[in-house]
Amino acid sequence: MKAKHVRPGEYGAVFKYVLLLPAVLWVVAFTFVPLIFVIHYSLANYVLGLGITDYVGLENYADVLASDRFWHSIMVTAAYVAISVPIEVVLGFTAAWLVNLGAPWSYGFRTVIGTPLFTMEVAIGYLGVTLFSSQGGLVPAVLGLAGVHVPWLSTAWGGIAAAILLDIWRWTSFVFVIVLAGLAGISSDLYDAAILDARNHWQVMWRLGVPLAWPVTTIAILLRTVECLKVFAIPYALTTGGPGTSTEVFSAMDYLTTVQFFNFGQGSAMGVIFLVMVAALLTVFFKQMRKRLA
Amino acid sequence: MGNVEKLEALIQGYLKGKIGRRDFVVGGLQLGLSLAVLTRLTAPARAANLMDSAPEAPYESPITQERVAFLKTKPFKGTTINVMVLKTTVGDGLKYHVPHWEEETGGKVNVAEVPIETLHQQIFSDLASGLGRYDAYMTGAWFYGDFFVPKTPYIVEIDKFQADPRHPYWDPDQWLPAMRKLYEWNGKLYGVLFDGDAQALYYRKDIFTDSKNQEKFKDKYGYSLPAPPKTMKELQDAAAFFTGWDWASDGGEGWGLALHAKVNEQGFFHFLSLSAPYVISPDNKYYFFNPQDMKPLINSEGHLRALEDYLKLANAGPREEISWTLGQGWNLFLAGRSAMEPTWGDLPTLAQDPKTSKVKGKMGAAGMPGTTEAFNPITGQWKKYELNQVGNTNGGSWHCVISRNSKKQEATYDFLAFMANKKNAFFNSTNGWTGVQPGMKFEYLPPVGTASLDEFKAQNWDADDAMEYLKGYYSVLSAPVQQEYLRIPGTAEYWHELDVNISAVLGGQMQPKAALDATAAAWEKITQRYGREKQKVLYQASFA
Amino acid sequence: MTNILWLRASLISKVVVYVLLTLAVIFTLLPFVWAFINSIKTSTATFEPGAFIPFITFQPTLDSWHNVLSDPQAINAFISSIVVSVGTTAVALILGVPAAYALARFQFPIGSSDIALWFLSQRVLPPAVVLVPFYLLMVYLQLIDTWTGLIFCYSAFNLAFAVVIMRDIFRDVSTEIEDAAKVEGATPWQIFWKISLPLSVDGLVVTAVLIFAFTWNEALFAAALTSQSATTFSALVLASRSTRGVDFNIAAVNTLIGIIPPVVLYFFVQRYLARGLSFGAVKG
Repeated sequence: MKAKHVRPGEYGAVFKYVLLLPAVLWVVAFTFVPLIFVIHYSLANYVLGLGITDYVGLENYADVLASDRFWHSIMVTAAYVAISVPIEVVLGFTAAWLVNLGAPWSYGFRTVIGTPLFTMEVAIGYLGVTLFSSQGGLVPAVLGLAGVHVPWLSTAWGGIAAAILLDIWRWTSFVFVIVLAGLAGISSDLYDAAILDARNHWQVMWRLGVPLAWPVTTIAILLRTVECLKVFAIPYALTTGGPGTSTEVFSAMDYLTTVQFFNFGQGSAMGVIFLVMVAALLTVFFKQMRKRLA
Repeated sequence: MGNVEKLEALIQGYLKGKIGRRDFVVGGLQLGLSLAVLTRLTAPARAANLMDSAPEAPYESPITQERVAFLKTKPFKGTTINVMVLKTTVGDGLKYHVPHWEEETGGKVNVAEVPIETLHQQIFSDLASGLGRYDAYMTGAWFYGDFFVPKTPYIVEIDKFQADPRHPYWDPDQWLPAMRKLYEWNGKLYGVLFDGDAQALYYRKDIFTDSKNQEKFKDKYGYSLPAPPKTMKELQDAAAFFTGWDWASDGGEGWGLALHAKVNEQGFFHFLSLSAPYVISPDNKYYFFNPQDMKPLINSEGHLRALEDYLKLANAGPREEISWTLGQGWNLFLAGRSAMEPTWGDLPTLAQDPKTSKVKGKMGAAGMPGTTEAFNPITGQWKKYELNQVGNTNGGSWHCVISRNSKKQEATYDFLAFMANKKNAFFNSTNGWTGVQPGMKFEYLPPVGTASLDEFKAQNWDADDAMEYLKGYYSVLSAPVQQEYLRIPGTAEYWHELDVNISAVLGGQMQPKAALDATAAAWEKITQRYGREKQKVLYQASFA
Repeated sequence: MTNILWLRASLISKVVVYVLLTLAVIFTLLPFVWAFINSIKTSTATFEPGAFIPFITFQPTLDSWHNVLSDPQAINAFISSIVVSVGTTAVALILGVPAAYALARFQFPIGSSDIALWFLSQRVLPPAVVLVPFYLLMVYLQLIDTWTGLIFCYSAFNLAFAVVIMRDIFRDVSTEIEDAAKVEGATPWQIFWKISLPLSVDGLVVTAVLIFAFTWNEALFAAALTSQSATTFSALVLASRSTRGVDFNIAAVNTLIGIIPPVVLYFFVQRYLARGLSFGAVKG
């Protein structure tokens, strides 16, 4: 059963704009006006204390596109998203499905599993330093019992892995909360029918649960991907991009350039490039999603 | 007026604060007096005017009569000044004095505490946007260049306030010259005394003087264990020697030398201090740029050898130290697991707290080890020296400067000078939690200064530790050859480029040569963005 | 409500479910326990190998707790965070929900999902890029270091959640009831306010919780746009890093204190989560 749209022109011709317009104006004022500033800066050479010294055309863009550090940060970000988001979705969905079974005490499980959503990422990054440190850290101590020694904080891949683990801990709860709400909306009657011709529990989840929860899951994936592409606080607090710039994500690089060093020109240019790339990705992604949603 | 009357009027005017020190000196010079004579003339004259204490000013000592009279009027009643400070340590140090100053003057101080992560950004956003909500900013010495980019600098000179005896008394001539430079620009004073940073070498005196260790060392290296190491070679040997065995006899791992080398933290200061004697010498004072054309010197042969040697030192600590912030690096030393650490005066201070430290009473301190050969990057020549030891002022040397937008500059200065007054300055430098380290002569023990060990003991210092600390620290700050301190616009960005490349070398991702070349290339880009000619002028001014 | 699948599940399945859920709970709780242990350590003990159990392998201290709780700025920041998060949630919902309803119910010259995507697109912008223009905008509006300024920014960022999620929720509210109300002569506003909105209250709560959580977590803008009076708790967490490096004990205390208000909120509203959204799924 799909939602029906009220036929246009019947009523609400003005009303719909009254509802929509405040939100549109708000976003225009607080996003698109700043965006115009950003584009303006991206064409200029800015120096703290002097302001814009010169207009340099597309030179900032050319510099950014020619910068290894920029592309490296894009690769790190892409890898980060590609690894953490699927894991978060699978874990979050599974946890939501299990909790939704409504076993005794599931109320308690629900409360606990949703909690990381409310932690502050910077704090989690700092906590990660103590968790993964080879000097008294919990994770190396536990792994050490099994004879496994991972150089978490002294190598690039170790640092990224640690950041991704923290990210999974922090953000699985986001998928969990949304999917759980979606699953709860599915009527029990549907399971009745399904359980008769399914061989086991997992088949029901796979054949019935996943398709039914797909629309809500796509929203979770979409929002999570968008957020994860901007990932900043956890890896920044954990490794600040080091050793060298090997674990530097895009947002961290942009933050340093624009905010710490007041290089508005290049910082803005890389922001615009990033925006274009992500918008393209998102459009394709969203088109696919919409096919299923429509 | 005859010359004598003129001179008398000049001195009177100076003492009463009608004319500034600079005008006084200029006037004196016009009368044909030499600078040395003038200095001698003013110092005792001012000192004669000083009292040890006054009931109106329980928190100031020494104090001028003009100050006492001034305080009687509660001069800043109804005035509120806004000060932006660094949260924790040095910020706490400042906050401590606020109620005292308020009590004496009737003024109010509103303190905004900002984390180190955003301090620079907050200060310059406030200034560049013209908002001007703050009268004074707590500043790291490397922020200075950015203040002097606009035609009218963002901050104001304090000479005229300093000469006014109605404000709290403090004497800039007490500064160790290397430290004073960080508070000045182009020979004029802008900062009011607060913190004085430098990196020294701290080591475990008990371990280094232990006879078993000494024998073992001699067997292995063929010379006596140097306590402390005087050259980089000795430093490397000692670091390697103490690595990998339980010299503390407590069942834990022992390390030779701890670093706090996390990128985007303060790890590169290690490299700056440790590389100085490879480049800086009695024959060359330039470390960062060639002052003629602003070409980077950072990839010179001297810097390269320094980096290769630095890499050796990094092997004498846990692998993970390349991701350590300061506290983690210090921790290894405080826990008794590291034999040495090149760092700031916070370390001996923290060592006094038995809750966190196992090394109280076991500290040794010395200047950074030197080299026997240094490279002059300007001439491109290596030259031998008997021992080339170089002092440094690496660090923040946090202190306040006054905004040009401030409408209450006088009250603001009064508050800042209050903390520079000997009594309060001394309080800061002996109390560890303030994060303030001594930059003034009087803060040291006789014969250099007038401090006494009792004052340190009263703050729970171990007497030997305090003596070692002051001795080591003084030798760094007073060394005749000093490393330059980069204070041009964009310093944070220049340092950042050096920092990430050194970190990449420590992480094994880059070769030293490639890393320094990459740094030089990045520096050229930054210089271009700021404008080469402008940078050159400011670079030269930062030296003057 | 117990699911039929659970009632019909075999004993082995039930055991597997409990084992998995227990593992999930341990995985979730462990960092909190670790944060608590850190919060009662000295800075030396934080990095001492084997210091895991209070009183046995290390001597606990409440210094860090005392340090944070006696800091007036921490208390102010805590209040600021609550005000800003509640304010943002309210503004984002007030603006976003009507827009979401309009997009779900009416047709526009541009496709409604394209408009929703447009709303979402501004969330794609990396925050660091727009920080500077926002600062200048706030200077212009004289809203630097104010709650209002932060609420303006955050509500703009979080509007997308309200629009995207609520649009899908409204699409699932049966139009039959609305059609009936229309026949009765209800105005469009009455239909929205009295019929559709009450039917979507569960979704509204979920959206509100998410916006609250996102606002609570934001540190970058808070640290740049405030310096004193409106500093939020998450911005304060940045101040665990000082001239002496990161104080991990203080950070641990902040982690634990920082989750209290949202968790309390979550606790009260989670029955709404359990009732569920349908997001286009088939309803019973």
